[in-house]
Formats: sequence, C-alpha cells, structure tokens
Amino acid sequence: MKKCLILFLSLVLVCFACSALADNILRWGFESDPTGFDPHTNPEDMSIRVMNQLYETLVATNPDMTYYGRLAESWENPDEVTYVFHLRQNVKFHSGRPMTAADVVYSFERILGRTEAGDIGALGSKSTYYGDIDTVEAVDDYTVKFVLKNVNAAFLGNLSSNYGAIVDKDVIAANGDLMRADGGTGPFMLKDWVRDNNVSLVKFADYWEADRVRLDGITYYVIGDESARLAALRTGEIDISTMSASNVPIAEKDANLKVLSYQSNQYIALGCNMSTPALQDKRVRQAITYATDREALINIVFSGQAMACSIVPPSLGHWSVPLDELDVYHTDVEKAKAMMEEAGYSKTNRLSLKVAAGLLDAIRQSAVVLQQQLAEIYIDLDIVNLEQGEYVDTWYKMATPEAGFDMMVVQDGAGTDPNRSVAFFFKTGASANVFGYSNERVDELCDLALSTPDPDIREGYYNEAQKICIDDCVKTGIACMTMYYVTSANLDGFAPTAADASNYRDMYFVK
Amino acid sequence: MRNYVIRRILQIIPVLLGVSILIFAVMKLIPGDVISGALGVEGSPELRQALTVKYGLDKPYHVQYINWILGVLHGDFGDSLRTSEPIFPEMMRRFSVTAELTILGALISWIIAIPLGILAATHRNKGIDRFVRVFALMGVSIPSFALSILVILFLALVFSYFSPLGYVSFFENPVKNLQIMILPSFVLGITIAGSIMRMTRSSMLEVLQQDFIKTVRAKGASERITIFKHALRNAFIPIITLIGMQIGSLLGGAVIIEQIFSLPGLGQMTLTGINQRDYPVVQGCVLFIAFIYILVNLITDLLYAYIDPRISYN
Amino acid sequence: MKGLRQVFRELVKDPMGRIGLIGVLLLILLAVFAPLLAHYSPEKMVSMPKAAPNQQFWFGTDNYGRDIYSRILYGARVSLEVGLISVGIAASIGFILGIIAGYFEGRIDRIIMCIMDILFAFPSILLAIFITAVLGRGIENTMIAIGIVNIPVFVRTVRASVISAKGLEYVQNAKSIGVKTFPLLMRHIAPNTIAPFTVQATLALSSAILTEASMSFLGLGIQPPDPSWGSMLSEARAFMEQAPWMVIFPILFIVITILIFNILGDSLRDVLDPKLKT
Repeated sequence: MKKCLILFLSLVLVCFACSALADNILRWGFESDPTGFDPHTNPEDMSIRVMNQLYETLVATNPDMTYYGRLAESWENPDEVTYVFHLRQNVKFHSGRPMTAADVVYSFERILGRTEAGDIGALGSKSTYYGDIDTVEAVDDYTVKFVLKNVNAAFLGNLSSNYGAIVDKDVIAANGDLMRADGGTGPFMLKDWVRDNNVSLVKFADYWEADRVRLDGITYYVIGDESARLAALRTGEIDISTMSASNVPIAEKDANLKVLSYQSNQYIALGCNMSTPALQDKRVRQAITYATDREALINIVFSGQAMACSIVPPSLGHWSVPLDELDVYHTDVEKAKAMMEEAGYSKTNRLSLKVAAGLLDAIRQSAVVLQQQLAEIYIDLDIVNLEQGEYVDTWYKMATPEAGFDMMVVQDGAGTDPNRSVAFFFKTGASANVFGYSNERVDELCDLALSTPDPDIREGYYNEAQKICIDDCVKTGIACMTMYYVTSANLDGFAPTAADASNYRDMYFVK
Repeated sequence: MRNYVIRRILQIIPVLLGVSILIFAVMKLIPGDVISGALGVEGSPELRQALTVKYGLDKPYHVQYINWILGVLHGDFGDSLRTSEPIFPEMMRRFSVTAELTILGALISWIIAIPLGILAATHRNKGIDRFVRVFALMGVSIPSFALSILVILFLALVFSYFSPLGYVSFFENPVKNLQIMILPSFVLGITIAGSIMRMTRSSMLEVLQQDFIKTVRAKGASERITIFKHALRNAFIPIITLIGMQIGSLLGGAVIIEQIFSLPGLGQMTLTGINQRDYPVVQGCVLFIAFIYILVNLITDLLYAYIDPRISYN
Repeated sequence: MKGLRQVFRELVKDPMGRIGLIGVLLLILLAVFAPLLAHYSPEKMVSMPKAAPNQQFWFGTDNYGRDIYSRILYGARVSLEVGLISVGIAASIGFILGIIAGYFEGRIDRIIMCIMDILFAFPSILLAIFITAVLGRGIENTMIAIGIVNIPVFVRTVRASVISAKGLEYVQNAKSIGVKTFPLLMRHIAPNTIAPFTVQATLALSSAILTEASMSFLGLGIQPPDPSWGSMLSEARAFMEQAPWMVIFPILFIVITILIFNILGDSLRDVLDPKLKT
C-alpha cells in the first residue's frame, strides 16, 4: 500500500510538470461529444461550437442585433426582394483554394436541395429560413445576387445563422457530406476527432484575417461531469468551459479563474399537448400559468441567475413584451385554484398529467419544481426524463395522443429575430409549432410582419401576435437563463453574447 | 481431455446464437427511433423515409436479423446511424481501452488481494486476518461509482490532483496513458479485490487443513515451501474460477467507470448508443461484450480442467 | 436439516450474524416507519437549497431545498422494495425452473439451462441496463430488469441441490414406494434446496440493491421525484464541493446497507452450510 501511495504521488508530480508546459492551444471542456460538423444539417450545440470556428457566413450579428459583413465585405438592397453581396477577395478555403461567388451559389443550392445530392435535410431549407430564396446567382467572381420570392424582413438575420455557412464543394464531393470533414474558410482547421474524447483544431495560416487570430489551435475535451470540468479548470487542465449557475460561486472564489456571463436567448417553457382533452380547456391552461412561481423556480434551478420570461425572452430587447403587461404571468395560486375548481377539479378530483422532460439539467430540474408547484392546484404531474433520441421523437408528436405525454418541458432558442421566436413556434403548421397551436389572427399577423420592412409597424404586429399566444397559454414561458463560461484568468478576448457565443477568434493568453 | 475441449467449444455456439437473437429482439422492442434523433428538430418526413430505406429498417425483422448476422461473421457490424461510419473499427479502438482497463484492474486486484488473502490464512484470527476480513467486506460492499466519487473528491480537494485528459493509447505515449488509466483501474481493482481476497483466504485455509499438507509439514519442509510449493498450487484452483467469473463484473464495472472517468471505452460506446438510439452500435457492442465474456468463461473452464486433474470430462 | 429456530439461535450466537440481523432489522424498521420518522415529505421543497446539516435538517438539504434526512428514509424504502421484489421475482421463477430442470433433466433441462446460459453471457449490469432500455425507466421496470438478471443464479443453485437430493437414499426410497412426483418434489426434494437458496437470496438482495443504485446513478433506474440513493448521489455529484453532505449521506447508506446484507449472508452461509465454513 505504501508503495502504491509513493507511485501515486510521483505520478501527481509528473502531471504537474506536464501541465506547466502550456502552449498557445486553447483547451475547452465539453459536456458531450459533438455529433458531426456539417453546418447545414447539424443543429447540435457542441458541434456548433466547433463548426463556428471552421465555417463562416456572409454576414454576422453584432451584440445589438444589427449585422456586419463577414465573408461579404458589403451589400446593397436595390429593391425589397433583392440583395447583392460583394465578397472579400482574399478568402481561402482550408484546402487553399480561393472562395468565390460560385461557392456561395453552391452552398445555398445545397441548402435548398437544388444540387444533384437533392434534399440533404438542411435545417435552413424551410420558408422560415432560406426557403424564400428564388434565385442565387454569381454576377461576377466576387458578387452574388439573391432574389427572394417575398419580402422577408428576417433575411439578413437568417444569413448570419450557421445554417447558411459557405462550404467547399470539392470537400463535399470527396467525402459525401461534411460530418467528419472540413470544408470551411474559418480561422481554425479540423485536425483530428477522437470519438467521445477530443476534437483538435489548428490555426489556418491563410485565414483572411490571420493577424487577428492569436491562438495556435483549440482542443475540445469531452468531460461529461460538471464537477470534473470544474476540477479540470481549477487544476489548469482546461482553459474554458460552460458552467451552471450553481457552480459559479466556487469558480468565483478561485483567483486563477474568471467567470463570463451573458443573458441568452434560451428559455425554459412548459407546453400543452392540444390533443389532451383536459388541456383543451383554456381555464386549466391559464391556471397552470397562474400557478407557476417563476421566481421560486429560478432560485432553485438557476441559483437566481435567470430572468422570468414569456415566449419572447428579454434578450430580444424591444421585441419582447415586458412581463408586467401580461396578466397571466403574475403568480396567483388562489386565482389558479379557483379556475381549476370552476373547471371541475378539487382536492378529491385531481388532474393527472404525464410530462415529458429531458436529461438537460435545466429541463430536468424545472420539471421537478413545476411538479411541486402544480400539486397546489390539484394537478399531479408524472415526470418521465427522456433520452435525447426519445425526447426529439416525442417533441415531434406533441400535438397528438401518440406522443404519450400531456405536457412537455422544453428548452427553446428564441433566436435573434421575432420571426423565429413567434412565427417559427406559433404559426399554424410552422416547423417548431409542435404543440398544435393554431390561431388565425396570429397566422395573419406573422405574415403581415414578415412582409413589412418598417420596424415599428412590424413590432406592432409581433406584439399583438405575442400577446394572443401568451394569453392562450398553450406554451408557458418560464425562465430565460444567464449562460456562464468559466475560463482561466489569463485567457482574454472572449465576449460571448446571445447573438454570438461561439466566436473564439479573438481569444488569447495573457503572458 | 481433447473431447472435453471440443465439446466445451461446441457448447458456446447455441449460446452465441441465442445471445444474438435476444439482443436483436430486445433492440426491436425499444421505443423511439434513432432516425428522429439523428434528424434533429427540423427534419422532413421525406428524409426520414429515405433514411429508413437506406438503413434497411423497412425490411421484415428476420431479414434484418439475417443480414446483420451475416455481416457480423465477416467482421461487418454495419454503420452507425449517427456517424455513418463502420462500427467494427471503432469498436476495436474502444475495446483496446476497455481491455486495458480490465486487465490493469485485474492486475491491481490480484496484487492487493492474493498476498493479503494468503497472509490472512496463514495468520488466522490474528490482527492481519481481521484487517483483511474487514477490508474485504468493505471492498465487496462499496459500489464502484461511490468509490470513484470519493476518490476523485479526495484527490481534488487534498492534492488538487485531477486525472489528465485526452486519452492516448499505451503505444502512443505510455507515461500519459498510465497516468490516465491508473485511477480508474485502481478503483475497478479495489471493487473486486474483496471477493478475491476472501476466496484466497478460504481456499488457502481449506488446503492448509488437508492431510497432505500435514504430511508435508511432518516431513520437515519449511513453512515457506509448504505454503508456496504445495498449498498455493492447490488453493489456486477455485481462485482461478473466481477470477474468470470476475472478468464479467470487471467488464460490467468498466461501463460505469468509463462513464465517470470519461474514458472512450466499449462501455461508454454502449451507453452513448443506448442514449442515442443507435441500434447497430448497441447491438454490436452488447454482442461483442457478451462474446468476450463467453470467451473468458470458456478459457477459465478449460484452464480449470487443465489444472485440476480431479475433474472428469464426461 | 436444521429447523428455523435453530438457525436463528446459531445466527444470534455468531457476533457477525448478530450485527447482520440487527442491521437488517433496523433498516427494515427505518423503511417501514419512514413516514413517521421523516420530518418532511421527501418531495417537498422546504428550505433554501443546499443548507448544511443543522438541528432542523439533520442531513442538510439538497439542491431543491428538500430535506435529505427524509429523502434517505424514503430512499431506504425504495431500495428495500426494489431489492425484495426483484429478488422475489428472480427467486420464484428461478426456484420453479431450477426444480423442473433438476428433477426432470433431459431435454427440458437442456432448454432451460441453455436459456440461463444465454442470460449468464452478459455482465449483469449491462443486461439490466439493456432490459430497462426496452421496458423504459421507473421503479417497476427496474425491479423487473433486476429480477430477470438474477434468475440464472437461482436456477443453478436450486438445480444443483435438486440433482444431489435425488441421489439421496430416502428420496430414492420414496420414489420406489411410488410417491407421486409433486408430493415427492415438495416434501422430499424442495427442503434440501432451502439452505443454499436462502444464502443465495440474501446475497442476491445485496447485489440487487447495488444494481438499483448503479442504474439510478446512471439515470436509468428510479425516476424523480422518487427518492433513490443512487439518483440522489448522481444529482449530488455536481454539488460535491459546495454541499458534500449531499454526497456523503447517500454513499454512507448505500455502503452500510450492502454491507449488512453481505454480513448476514455470510453468517447464514456459515450456519446453513457448515461445509463452507472457514
């Protein structure tokens, strides 16, 4: 046993010696293994943190939700449905080949399923994203013209999404898709991917803004357990990781660590399956909303570090209707009880509902708290935590009895534009309107807003639509969380925002 | 003897067949499907249909089964639904991690357990014996995940020590590999050391009480020779059986340990596969683990038969 | 064959047996009287999250502000319930199959043992995980999965003792004087299986509790808000440093529970099966 201990301690020393040899590589701690790096088809979070280093889009979003050119140097808008982009001339793909207008055209044809590969299941192919594009053509080597079928006020915002990354067609021709390949123009190149373990990127020497990039590379390590990630940060094994609010106080106490945060556009919500008879009663849905104590939930689940929110979170700025204007969001358990009694429920006649939740901490824990809160108003929630595959499968079916669930706790991304936060989730038949909500006036307002360029009038339309959706309580917004990054104290140049939380090109180590 | 070996090897064929049918049937009963998982939130029904056809999930079950088994016999376990990559090479890479963990775990447990077991037997009812019995009882009673957490917490708080990240194979960088593997192997070893210790102790005691040992002693052999040359050899028979059986719990324990220590092994691949509804991966991994397990049991049996001349082969 | 009373007397004589008996008894009392002993409902969020142990909350509170002491008590209920029912499932199916296989031998024996070999061809935790993947999570399915996993050991134990009992002289005699199969099995053969069967059941209990804890720890077993020690521990993992009491108490109770069942199993074996006594 003594020998074991000695051997062990010497290994500890060896380890310290190793970690002292820090180079200019950023070491990231990931919650789970990325699933692949095709920016057009993969919406998964870890992968996005990698893909955003490999790929770039024509335009990018500023923290104030305005846009600036990235691969496009500038653009003009000759009429309401035409956009002409002037591309940067010094951009190269990682293969060394210069990027031209033909590549932009190819990328969007691929997204829209107009290449010979056909429909690749691109996330941006729907009308809520790029489906409105009528033609994309190369005017010359460095000029691209987009013509839309309808006026689409969200177009530039959509272009800044990684679903619209510009990709190298030669790499796709060689690999079939981009899940394990790298056909980007971004500041870093994919070097290696060891499944369930690490992904390593190296700096792209010919990057068009190479002077700006000061890291030599990024290695992402998969460390599923948050406490292990925290330990790794403290012992200097990794330089950066996301952290839940509850562990932030520990990181703050450590002089070698630094905490960064931003108000995200991700929010937790509770949705009602509209095929469940009990939930077709608006009184029951509203009672559930009245009975939800958002502050209490935020204290428990997010250690107080989140904002109570509706279905358009405060990070969308003026597009979001403030909560005090929304009556149903004022917690009132007595009123909720009275509504339930009116709907025929009582202490002896309780309502049992089956709720789907997931494995993500925020979703899982919110469900547990809601279960307690709704018990007060004669509702018994039966929670089932689904694995990712089942969760997504169930999500699709949440408007039908086949889902097997009456309610679902979801974490939705409200995007940076009200088209995404309202139309994408609440318009009849929209791709993320999974709970089966349908309201003619909301549909009408969404269409009107999309074809209205004037921001003030748009805001009026979206506000009205928003209030209708909120009053119907098919999906009740709960909390919009603050996201935390913990980094080593000598890491600088990282400023995550809701608009862009995975821009690592400016990071550097202070010597 | 030769007949016994042949018969024992033939016996595993129906078991393997049964195992594969069981795994396949179980996989078909699982709710939710991987295609939804792989498509994510915004996939279209057409694409779903296309993928279903591509992976042969539209064919009748028996055809799916036969196709799978024929492939397996050629070392082709199909492609992962998530990554579209062939499963077999990935499984082999993963297996090397699990195998290393299992072997190191076994070695550590033997190094700890066998000498202590012998000591306890030769010093029966003395201090060392009591210590060993308590230690062994604790060893069998503490679950590997609980021990892992305690060890990680203790090392991080007291020594600010944390297992290095980024698995590298032994052949790439032996020092770093061992740094990474030592802690999980230690935990895994401890959890089975208890039962090996008890088995060593009890079978040593049994042998030491037998007549032939008394004869050896009477003939004036030294205690050392008595124990090492005569007693130990006989005591090893049940120990080997137990060790064979323990490989199974080591493989099972590895599933949990790999998860806690983020090691890219076969157990982690299986759990990820289950979480992602990646049928071919889970099917392949579980079949493979079962195969290894059956193989180890077979080897144990044959070894046992070889060592113990008393066994009859009929 | 020893009578129950004698077994009990011998068990009490052995200091380890006493510890095991008293421990198991205490555990059962804790579980049965959990509603009386607990200070709060195990699901109720009664305090600020992560309060350290104090006079009001003996074991502190968890990240939801629930009383850990009360959750541990109800967790004992869950552990014992899962353990007893899953071992009950395994033992009764295993007993019947073992008697059939051992008594009739021949083809039916080969079929049963082949199925058992198949079940035995998996590491037990892997098989349990695999079965819950089909059945879905939750307390009932966890019991079924652990039950299925434990069937083969019972079949083997019972079968082996049936086969050796068949060779006993008085059984042969009973058979030759024409005692019918069923009474023969029940009156003459089954009693011979009781000793190894009881030892096996006690040991299976501890391994069932361990498997449940492991599965719940992996998130595959008991689902919230049901308190299970394994899931309490996996929840606690993220708060190890700020709230070590969230980790320590579940570990303590898991280890102690398995320990006392092992102790009891060991002394039972010594009493019932003195051949193995060391």
